[in-house]
Amino acid sequence: MSDELRGPDDEALGRRLASELPRYTAPARLRVSIVDAADHPARRPVWLAPLIAAAATALALVLFLIPVLPRIEPADPVQQVVRAVVNEHSRALMWGARQPQILPAGLPWLTQETGIDLRRAFAGDDRLSLVAAEPVYLTRQRGLAVHYRDVDGHLVSYIMLPAERSFAMSERDRVQIDGRFKPMLKRDSGFVTWVWKQGDVACFLVSDMVSQDDLERFKDYFVRVRVATEPTIAY
Amino acid sequence: MADTDFQRQALQHIDALYNFAVYLTRNPPEADDLVQETYLRAFRFSHRFQPGTHLRAWLFQILRNTFLTFYRLRERETAIAEDGVPDWDVPMFHDTSTDEGGALEAHTDLERAMRRLPEEFRTVLLLAEVEGMPLEEVARVMACPVGTVKSRIFRAKERLRGLLKDYEKK
Repeated sequence: MSDELRGPDDEALGRRLASELPRYTAPARLRVSIVDAADHPARRPVWLAPLIAAAATALALVLFLIPVLPRIEPADPVQQVVRAVVNEHSRALMWGARQPQILPAGLPWLTQETGIDLRRAFAGDDRLSLVAAEPVYLTRQRGLAVHYRDVDGHLVSYIMLPAERSFAMSERDRVQIDGRFKPMLKRDSGFVTWVWKQGDVACFLVSDMVSQDDLERFKDYFVRVRVATEPTIAY
Repeated sequence: MADTDFQRQALQHIDALYNFAVYLTRNPPEADDLVQETYLRAFRFSHRFQPGTHLRAWLFQILRNTFLTFYRLRERETAIAEDGVPDWDVPMFHDTSTDEGGALEAHTDLERAMRRLPEEFRTVLLLAEVEGMPLEEVARVMACPVGTVKSRIFRAKERLRGLLKDYEKK
């Protein structure tokens, strides 16, 4: 070793280390086990790499296509409309009506804009007070929404749309109310909706009154609105 | 997978590597495992070895890095021991105690003094003085400049002399 720091003592110590320090020799079995291990390495299955590559490609494609994939919609046409109605109710709950009208004064304009005529309109009572009426556009149809607020502060939206042919009311989810009516009760996104048909008009009464006690009152609201309103297709 | 020729060349250094491993681990069974792991890594990454460069230095470098990896792991584990005192004799690879695991007994003062040196001093002396490696190769194994190797050798010998004097007094 060439070292400018090395003195006579250093050289002696270096020699001593080289000569006196015991040397340990590798056992023969170690050499054998190394050769064995090298000859039989733990190999990955040949199919693993293509499988991982394929999975990664598929994952990348899914991630890439997520924005353009169609949204999962309910297969039931009634449930589809209920979802749109609930969305509209949520919008009104947050930001109020966009073109608020008062009933019955605003009825002519609302009929002209929506194509739905209210021969009789529910303008509120001791339990439900009228907030506003407005035209809406849901599931590619014009419609009419009337918003009420009950004495406890719940917003209750009554929405009317032309009933399409596909809008078939099944017997499932029907609830008998007051011995006279049997609307459907639909739940979606934390809201409950009464669904019924009056002539060619599909009617929805939606609110967040989901608890059992609230639901009993919501039945009462349904009756109040149902008996006092008569929607028809104007043109 | 290393080819047969590479294996044959690499295995020529097994005794030197084993000796180095024994001094690092102070435990022959640990040294066995360390050398075996070193060769397996070397064979697995043989394509990274550049022919014409020093195979011996490359193997020593792998061995030392492997040792330090496990050593640091053990250091972290012992750091959270209940009594808070690091136990350097805890085996690296085995679960056996040092008594059962064949811990190496030092026979001479020189050997005893070497064991008390810090790893970087022990390594530099083993490589430069015992294995007779050129300083450039030692620097490669230890991943430091040649100047650092020189100063480590100087300080390691100083420390070693001090320890030997202490043993002589006793």
